[in-house]
Amino acid sequence: VHPNVSQGCQGGCATCSDYNGCLSCKPRLFFVLERIGMKQIGVCLSSCPSGYYGTRYPDINKCAKCKADCDTCFTRNFCTKCKSGFYLHSGKCLEKCPDGLEANNHTMECTSIVH
Amino acid sequence: ERSTTQKAIIRVIPLKVEPIVLEGEFASVAEVTPAEGKLLQSHPLSLCNTSEDEHTESGFITIVKLEQPDRDPNPCLSLANKAKLAGERGARAILFDITDDESAADQLRKPRGLSQPVVLIRGHDAELLMGVVNKNREAHVKIEVKEQPAWPDYD
Repeated sequence: VHPNVSQGCQGGCATCSDYNGCLSCKPRLFFVLERIGMKQIGVCLSSCPSGYYGTRYPDINKCAKCKADCDTCFTRNFCTKCKSGFYLHSGKCLEKCPDGLEANNHTMECTSIVH
Repeated sequence: ERSTTQKAIIRVIPLKVEPIVLEGEFASVAEVTPAEGKLLQSHPLSLCNTSEDEHTESGFITIVKLEQPDRDPNPCLSLANKAKLAGERGARAILFDITDDESAADQLRKPRGLSQPVVLIRGHDAELLMGVVNKNREAHVKIEVKEQPAWPDYD
């Protein structure tokens, strides 16, 4: 076995090495880059961590970060929960709700005005 | 025949541990110039357009441990473009450990005028450097241009 190849790959790795961690994942799993201090390793997860969304490419499934104003998202452009100080409207995070809608500070969403 | 590659002196200064002095060679894809900064490892797959790196500070020196070519059959970018991307993300210099991928030296030979120096390291020197990385020790790195030996003039 090549000295640099870890004896056993962690979790869902298909291939890995001591220095880089996972290099590729088992089918259906998502590849995520994890930074721990000055190290950066690859890990394979069944779903993306909070603050990330999954994208499936032909050769790899990857997790990528949601936008800066978004806490959890479905895709890069479809947020499901905004960071504090922002209101969710149609998958977007807004500092101010559009006319005709009011900011619900409980759900942190823009909602129809109730008369 | 005079060696055409310019040697690099790499001083690795880990916190609270003795510094180590290593040797590498500048790749001609980039400028031959000194550089220094905090050492940061980058996974080979982090240097792809579809990947992000949460690290946002700039002014670091990145070390990339290249795997055997057959373990990454269709790389997302060429090594030259990976080095370029690392520079665009704030790296002051890029160190490639090419112990397991000697073909990298050829891939990085063609001048591209990248402004951040690209240094290749291999073998025992690379092992020592990756040892610092593996212990996840914060370290400062200084890359210097090694003086070429003055060739005696035979008249």
